[in-house]
Amino acid sequence: MGLFEKFEKTATLYNGLEAAGQNPFSVVMEEVLGPTRAKIRGRETVLAGTHNYLGQTFEKTAIAAGQKALEVEGTGTTGSRFANGTFSGHKKLERDLANYLGVDYCVVFSTGYVANLGAIAGLIDPSEDVVLIDADCHACIYDGCQLAGAQTIRFRHNDPESLDKRLARVPPETKGKLVCIEGMYSMYGDVAPVKEFVDVAHRHGAHLLVDEAHSFGIYGEKGRGVAEDVMDQIDFYSGTFSKSLASIGGFVASRHPEVEYLRFSSRPYKFTASPSPSTIATANAALDNIASDPSIRAKLWENANRLHAAFTQLGLRLAAAPAPVISVLFDTREEAFAAWNFLLQHGVYVNMAIPPGTPGKESLLRLAVSSAHTPEDIDALVSAYSALAEAFPAARRSAGH
Amino acid sequence: MAATGESAPKSGVDEGGPSGGIQEDDDLVFRKICSLLDPLNHTGVKLTRDTDLVADLEIDSVAVLDIVMDVEDTYDISIPVNVISETRTIGQLVDAIHVTKKDQA
Ligand SMILES: Cc1ncc(COP(=O)(O)O)c(C=O)c1O
Repeated sequence: MGLFEKFEKTATLYNGLEAAGQNPFSVVMEEVLGPTRAKIRGRETVLAGTHNYLGQTFEKTAIAAGQKALEVEGTGTTGSRFANGTFSGHKKLERDLANYLGVDYCVVFSTGYVANLGAIAGLIDPSEDVVLIDADCHACIYDGCQLAGAQTIRFRHNDPESLDKRLARVPPETKGKLVCIEGMYSMYGDVAPVKEFVDVAHRHGAHLLVDEAHSFGIYGEKGRGVAEDVMDQIDFYSGTFSKSLASIGGFVASRHPEVEYLRFSSRPYKFTASPSPSTIATANAALDNIASDPSIRAKLWENANRLHAAFTQLGLRLAAAPAPVISVLFDTREEAFAAWNFLLQHGVYVNMAIPPGTPGKESLLRLAVSSAHTPEDIDALVSAYSALAEAFPAARRSAGH
Repeated sequence: MAATGESAPKSGVDEGGPSGGIQEDDDLVFRKICSLLDPLNHTGVKLTRDTDLVADLEIDSVAVLDIVMDVEDTYDISIPVNVISETRTIGQLVDAIHVTKKDQA
């Protein structure tokens, strides 16, 4: 029994939700009907809780590229990048990503999670380096620090001054200092002041890693991310294929040639299989699409702005300014559960997040916008959220917030 | 930097508290922690050096990290996440802060 005792609390919570028929963590997409629609519990539902920001899941060119790769290169690489798992497709995608971002080097990993583990654990020597992370960084950045065995210091979210103070306290004998932030943060949809962070980090001789998992392809005139205007000053840029590129995989890009050494020093690069040829091919095709067609990005922003304006009008308690993620805050977990279920009953799937997985004490419903959301999808979302605002006073700003 | 983690108290260094001149300072840190924990103390248990942050107070690990950020700014010290994650009780947290304060003085 000892091994499983720890699950008791979790089990009570989740079994309770399950019994009430409203467990947001056991949703099954029974039938996928398109980039923004699926059947859930037998019902056609608008998907607004995926990361299909640029609507690439059913792009014809990507599907064709994937099919061709399956036929020509087979179903899997059956090995790690370090050994037999590097095909010409992996190398081409690395070059194309580097070109798109305007840097010289790029290393492809098996997922975005693994890319951050690989970067941090590969770069950091725990006996002489230190990592400073934004308090709201994603789990994989925390896990990367842990894998590295690194001295890890947290600074206040999006607060360069808080970083400044902590960098000033780092003992002078410390060799390397790595600062980790994200571009757009996935829970609230708020954005880092990257330029300020560059200035503070470099003033203290630290390197800066920006994880643009949720902002790659989306922010900046060219879609290079929140850091686009200071790309030449960013030290490491991590990203994923699982969101705007609608595939699986991740990468670390850099202007420093030393990033190439991750291929030898990084266990998460060496000890897991590489992405299959078809996932690489679809990611590359999606990259070609979003790089050559800025209207995809423009469409996403149009949808995001429209939804944010409509929700603001409804008086909903929104977490941040218009962004591809639009979150409504709730004081209690119970309210958020009920509201999530309410939306699903109204034919809308969004994500629910509860502490400690959220930045503050609040629970939230998180809507992820897609460029593929049609005007009908948007209408359905606005109508479901207006019913929500009506039924849940707690979701509105006027409720004492 | 590594010295901070290695010299942090691991466990069981409780009861009676540290001796001598640091006693008073330790009490101040203890009271500071208690004042930060008070608003989160929904279970209403009495806060002592033995109070287990997660088991007794039912506050999550991120809330503990957030409290530590307040402590860091109060005392102008940095306490690594990896040191905090090794502490379970208020007393251990106080001791870790104390050690860090001394190291970074
Ligand atoms: C900030 C951030 N980094 C990395 C990841 C991991 O990406 P992947 O799904 O490719 O593992 C995510 C996705 O959840 C994320 O939000």
